[in-house]
This record gives sequence, C-alpha cells and structure tokens, in this order.
Amino acid sequence: MSEFLLLAPEIIVLAGALFALFADRVTHRPSAPAHIGAPLAVVAAAVALVIGTRGGILGGMIALDSVSLFSRVAIALLLAVWLRWVSGRGTGAERPAEAVAFAMLSAVGGMLMVSARDLIVFYISLELSTMPAYILMGYRRADARGLEGALKYFLLSMLTSLVMLYGLSFAYGISGSTSYADLGRLDGGVLGQLAVAFVLVGLFAKLSAAPFHYWTPDAYAGAPASSVAYVSTVPKVAGTVALVQLVAAFGANGATVTGVLVAGSLLSMAIGNLAAYPQTDLRRLMAYSGVAHSGYILLAVAAGGAGGHAAVFYAVAYAVPSMALMLLGAEEGTALDDLGGLAARRPAIAWAAVAWLLSLVGIPPMVGFFGKLSMFTAAVEGGLLWLVLVAVAMSVVSAGYYFRVLRALFFGERLDAGTVAGKPAVAIAFGALTVATLALGVFASGVMDVFGLRF
Amino acid sequence: MDFPLLTLIVFLPLLGAAAVALLGNARASAGRAVAAVVAAVDLGLVAWLTARFDVAAGMQFTEIAEWVPQAGITYHLAVDGMSLAMVALSALLTLLAIVASWKTDRNPALWFSMLLLLEVGMNGVFLAMDFVLFYVFWELVLVPMYFLIATWGGPRRQYAAVKFFLYTLFGSVFMLVGIIALYLQTGTFGILEMAGAGLDPSFQWWVFAAFFLGFAVKVPVFPLHTWLPDAHVEAPTAASVLLAGVLLKMGSYGFLRISLPILPDAAAEWSTFIAALAAVSIVYGAAVAFAQTDMKKLVAYSSVSHMGFVMLGIASMTPEGLNGAVAVMFSHGVVTGMLFFLVGMVYDRTHTRMIAEVSGLSSKVPVAAGLMAFASFASLGLPGLSGFVGEFLSLVGAWGSEIPAGWVIVSAVGVLLAAAYMLWLVQRVVLGTPSDAVARIDDLGAREIAVLVPLVALTLIVGVYWDSLLRFTDPAVRAILVTMGGA
Repeated sequence: MSEFLLLAPEIIVLAGALFALFADRVTHRPSAPAHIGAPLAVVAAAVALVIGTRGGILGGMIALDSVSLFSRVAIALLLAVWLRWVSGRGTGAERPAEAVAFAMLSAVGGMLMVSARDLIVFYISLELSTMPAYILMGYRRADARGLEGALKYFLLSMLTSLVMLYGLSFAYGISGSTSYADLGRLDGGVLGQLAVAFVLVGLFAKLSAAPFHYWTPDAYAGAPASSVAYVSTVPKVAGTVALVQLVAAFGANGATVTGVLVAGSLLSMAIGNLAAYPQTDLRRLMAYSGVAHSGYILLAVAAGGAGGHAAVFYAVAYAVPSMALMLLGAEEGTALDDLGGLAARRPAIAWAAVAWLLSLVGIPPMVGFFGKLSMFTAAVEGGLLWLVLVAVAMSVVSAGYYFRVLRALFFGERLDAGTVAGKPAVAIAFGALTVATLALGVFASGVMDVFGLRF
Repeated sequence: MDFPLLTLIVFLPLLGAAAVALLGNARASAGRAVAAVVAAVDLGLVAWLTARFDVAAGMQFTEIAEWVPQAGITYHLAVDGMSLAMVALSALLTLLAIVASWKTDRNPALWFSMLLLLEVGMNGVFLAMDFVLFYVFWELVLVPMYFLIATWGGPRRQYAAVKFFLYTLFGSVFMLVGIIALYLQTGTFGILEMAGAGLDPSFQWWVFAAFFLGFAVKVPVFPLHTWLPDAHVEAPTAASVLLAGVLLKMGSYGFLRISLPILPDAAAEWSTFIAALAAVSIVYGAAVAFAQTDMKKLVAYSSVSHMGFVMLGIASMTPEGLNGAVAVMFSHGVVTGMLFFLVGMVYDRTHTRMIAEVSGLSSKVPVAAGLMAFASFASLGLPGLSGFVGEFLSLVGAWGSEIPAGWVIVSAVGVLLAAAYMLWLVQRVVLGTPSDAVARIDDLGAREIAVLVPLVALTLIVGVYWDSLLRFTDPAVRAILVTMGGA
C-alpha cells in the first residue's frame, strides 16, 4: 500500500479531475473546478518534490528517477498555470468544467508515462494523456473546421498509436517481457528492428516530428487556442521523456535508433522552420515551430550521453514560452494581425512576449538558450557536429518568423481592438510563465541540481 | 570579494532602464533625467576605475562567482587596458547619446530605457571573461538595438532592423558552436583559462572559422558588411553613434580577446586572409563612400574602411599593429560618433542628409561647420588628431609582419582615398554658398555643443599625446602576444 503513496501527485491530480466532472452539481459555479484544480496541481508538484527520486516500485513497473521527477513537477506546474489562466478567462461558450477535467486527466497520463518502466504502463498512460487531448482539440462542437482538425488529429494519432502497439508486441514477442529493463534483449534481426522502428514512428507522431507531423498544423488551426496551449506543450514534455527512456532501453539496436533519430531531426528542423515562415496564423506558426523544436529534441536524444537530460530540459524550456504565446493568442486572436498594437494596449504582456519569443529563438539569458546550449554541447560531444550546424542555421531562420510576431506586437496596428480587461488569475498565469522563462535560464544550474540532472 | 565595481558598471544601467520604463511616458521628463543621471554615474564609475587602474598589473578588479558549476560556467568579470578603453568609450557615448536625444518626444520612456539596456550589453561584452557570460551580453545588445532602429528609424526601419538582427545572429550562433567545441576540448568556459591552452592546430582552424563568422559580421569585414549601411541609414542619430562607436568594436574586440590568444596557430594561418579582407574593406569602403550622395551613408561606408585598419592591425600580430588596432577602435568610436552627431544635427534643421542639398554651412552656421571640418580631418587621419595614431601604427605593424607587402600598400592607398572623400565632403557641405535648405537654420545650441566638446577634446588629447591611450593598451596587447607565444 505504501508504494501507492509514492504516486500521491498523480492521485491528487486525478482527484481534482474527478471533482471537476461533478463540480457543476456541487458548486453551481462553472469556474470552480479550475479555481480548485490549479492549487491542487501545485500541491501535486510539491508532493512530487518531497517524494523525490526512488528506484523501481510496484514490481519495477514504475521508477522515479531524476528525469521523471523533473518532468512530473514540470507537468504539474504547467497544468497549474494553464488552469489558473482558465479560471480567469474560461474556455468560451463551452463548458469549462469538462475541459478542466480532461486537461487534468491528460496530465495524470503524462505524469505516469514519465515514470513508466513497463510497456503496458507506458501504453496505457500514453493513451490516457492523448485521449482527453482529442476532445480538447475538438472542443468547439459547432465549428466545422475545429471538428475536422480534431478528427484528423484523432485518426492519425490512433493510427500511429496502433503502429506503436504493433511494435510493442514485437518487442514483447522477442524479449519475452514487457519491462524496459529487458528491451536490451532485442536482437538486431528484422523483427527487432521493426519493433524499434514502429515504436519510434508512434513517438515521432506524438511529438509531431517529421515526417509524421502533417496533422499538427491543421489540427491546431482548427482548435481553440486555449486548448492548443495545453495540447502543444504538456504532452510534448511527457512524450520527450518517454522517447529518451525508450531509446536508452533499446540499447542493442543503437545504430538503427540513432539513424532514425538523426533523419527525423534533420527533417523536422528543416520542414518545421521553413514551413513556419509564411504562416499568418499564430496556431499554424506555432505548430510548425513545434515541429522544428521536436527536431532539436531528437538531435539531443540522438547524441546519447547527457543528451537525454538536455532533451528533457529543453522540452520544458520550449513548453513554457509556447504555452504563454498560445494563451496570448487565445485572448487576443490568433491571426498575427490580431496582435497588432498590443504594445500600446497591454505593454507588460507585450514585453513579456519579447522574453518568450527570444527564449524560443535561443537568445540568452532566457531558458531557451540554456536548453540549446546543453543540447548542442551533448550533440557535439556525441559526434553530431554537422547536425548542430544545421540546427544553429535553422535557429536563425526561426528568428525570422518569431520576429514577425514581435513586429505585429510592437509595430502592427489593429483598428478594431479593445483592451482586454486585466484579471488577477490571468496576470498570475502570464507572470509565472514569464518568470519561469527568465529564471529557469539564469538559475539553470540550481534547477538542474535540485533534480539531479546532468549538464 | 572587494567592492563589486565592475558589476556596478555593467548592471547600474539595467536598474536605470527599469526605472525609466516604470516612470513611463507620462513622466517622461523625470525618466529622461534618471537616464542621464544613471549614464553619468556610470561614466563616473568608469572614471574612478581608470583612476584606480594599475597600468602594470594586467587583468584586475576580478569578480568571480559560480554560475552553472556543473558545466564550469562562471560569473567572471575583469578588466585590462584594452577592456578599459572600450568600456570608457561605451559609457561616454551612451551618456552623449542620451543628452543628444534629449528632446525625443515619441515614446521617450522606451527610447531612454533601450539606450541604457544597450549599455548593459556593451559594458558586459568588454568585461566578461567567461564565454557564456560573454555570449549573454553579446546577444543582449541585439534586442535594444533592434527596437531603437525599428521604432525610431527611417522609412525602411523594419527591414534594416531585422536585417541587422539576423545577420549578427547568424554570425553569433556559429560562434556559439565554436564556444561549445572549445568547452569540450578544455573543460572550461573561462576565456582567460583557455588562452595558451596549446590546442591542436587543425582543431584551432575550425574553431577560428566559427569565431570568424561571429566577429567578422560585427566588425564588419567585406563581404559581410551589407547590413551596416542599411542599419545606419535607417537608424536614428543616437543609435547610429552607438552602432558605429561601440557595437562594431565588439567584433574586433572578440578577435583580440578570444581568437588571437586562444587560437594562436590558426590566427597565424588566417592572418594573410584577414589582411587581404582588411585591405579590400579599406579600399572598397572608401571607394563606395566616394560615390555616396547621402552624408550618413558616406560616414557608414567610411566605417567599413576604418574598421579595415583595425583588422589589418590585428592580422599583423605585432605589438605596433595590435596597439594600432585598439587605437583605431577607440578613435573611430570618438570621431565617427562626432560625425554622426553632426550629420544628425544638420538633418534636424534641414530635414535632409543629401550632400547636394546641404552646402555653405560655414557662412550660416560657423560652429557646426567648423566642427564638421574638424571631425572630417580627424576621420581622414590628419597627424595631431586621434585617427592618425591608430592607422599609422596599424600600417607600421603590418609592414613589419608576415603580411605580404602588397596588401599593406593597398591599405595605405586607402588613407589617400579617405583624405579625398572627406575633403570632398568638406568642400561640398562646409564651403560654398548656402543652399536653400541651409539658408534659414540656426547654429548649434549649448546642449549640442556640450555633446561634441568631450569628443573634440579626446580627439586632440589622443592625437597629440599618444601615450594617454597607449599606456593602457600596450601592456594588454603585449600580454596577448605573450600568450600567443610571440613577442
């Protein structure tokens, strides 16, 4: 029984989700679930910190190492920020209570996935984290475009899930076990390689890495921006951790894995950055930039060594400013022109957005820079210098389109714009994301120390 | 740790920038005063630093603290004579830029806070002795300069600002790869610790190439200079002054502080190539300056030419050449700052920068005309003025070095060309009968003269009494040459 207590963070978030489902009946206030959910998520993060790292529990199906500790805390805190924002703004005409429940369930899935050491636990938690995401993406049921996007997301995600399941069953067939620890027994034969390839296909699709990224822009462009803010960030952190851990487990097939990762990284960086350039909708722009950032993450994972820790740190470094930008889009409108003149209407938010955008470009002292520094260091050390050169060149390309956002904020004009009323909950959410963008950068060492991550 | 003087010099303007931003446009006159006081105090701190500076002692006032101990990243500031000269230039020109743009009425809070933020980055670059810290300040500079150009610039300001940002970012990300490569080889991010580490020559060659991209774009060296004329033409006066006066020096400072001491073998291999590019920059910049019809563009292209002398001095890797390079860096900051201020003051009155439309300044506005002539003479390198010191030493150093004599001769021709285009400018703008645009204008006011006087004084002092600058730079450049295993 006591081992279950180590899953207290997940249990707390799950309780919040269940409460959210019935809160309408109890409180008769639609914003109550988010108001209660946000502090619960913070408590969950604190409890996870107190629990710290543990070896295998529940028969080795779950292990709490430094990476899973860091990502559990990050997921819970990102969820808290998102809920805090929702408690201020709601999710539009739709029922916010359910959205809160779905987001929290998805977070439970993500938090379990990062600690999974067993293929079945991994697969179930993966589905738990993505199923609610499908619903969040199609949350505007009256919007045909949104439904089309959500359907596309659902069908492609399910398809790749099933391909992954096929790969997992091969892995079980060969190794005779569902434990990560036994995946090293996969031989280099055809079946073993297929198993590895299928699993990677699934993970690439979840991370929207090329060439399995094509659902992303359409799905994001149709969905409410507030849903995109959640779905494009939190599951990505969990997916990155799963990728890192599974790649480490596939030891014997290292060459195949590295080849696939390098190819995926190259494609993702090139396609994502080049396709993001001409976009005029913030959601499509961030979708393609998300593809590009997945490419950077794959680069770090391919490098091995400290690359795994760097990839996980970077996933969080990416999630923080991205969530902030999408939430801003949810408030102001997602066409780039909608952001016009924000600097005059909401100067504090506009300047915070400068920090978010610079972090995404990788300019110090923002967290994105330290993420890239640790990733590139690992990749150069891992002998992938040429790929790092591609990555740095692509960073310059990315600056070009992030600048178009910045230009809209400061130099664009929007005639019909009214000032969005300030709300304390929203200010807290944006404030937290901005402080994290700066502080995770400047105090990167302290953060890594707390979680035992390697540089 | 003693009194953290260097930290204060770097970060005091950050506090000032925050205060000015918080005061906002509603209390713009208070914000402007805060900006001026902060910049003046910062300059005062640099003066105090100079007074306490021990010329014989090398690196001093060291402040060091752990930052990311896992990767050996430190918060490490220190100063030697070369850094001191550059920080003095940065602090002085920032204060003058603030005073010169006193009457900015469009979004003044943002204007003055960006100028102060720029000073944080500039001071930081010249004092940081840790690569990551250096890179932080290096990139920090881009942000305020982007806003200064994009918000207050000319008609094509957006284009020019983004071009400036992307060009320099392109160079600096390759520099980042070089930094990572050096870190993996030496296990430290300390700039001083890496000097004289005896790295493998072929490894050095590649890292030098990466740093070359970063620094040469900033200098800028032909053919990586194309962002500079656009940025200058579109930038408001104060931004042009800081861009030419300080930002370009960050590139040449990088060569001196990083490329030469850490990668001496590669520097020796690259020296002829750099000298060739320097010679081409000198002649090309001068030739293009000749063809300009816009005063500001002329000064911008003359900067490409002058920075060529810096690169020539660096490529010589002799004590004279390196002293010359630092002297040109300092003098170019002062003199080009003066020229840009004057062009801006004329533009404020006539609303044109076209040489053809501005003539006969001397009979209408003698003070402005006299100073314009003075700055032009300083820029063309007249003996007795600061421009001569550095160009002379650069050429002497290059002549006595391994650089093929042909490139030195080509470079020397650049001195003649500079005399020609500058005198032609003086002839067309200062002399002659007043044009329509000039006919009704007033001469410089007290505030404007106050901005120019310190620059005139420095031009004269350094020009007549060379040792006032060289006593600081000489020990620093000799220390660089010693770590390179040379003189």
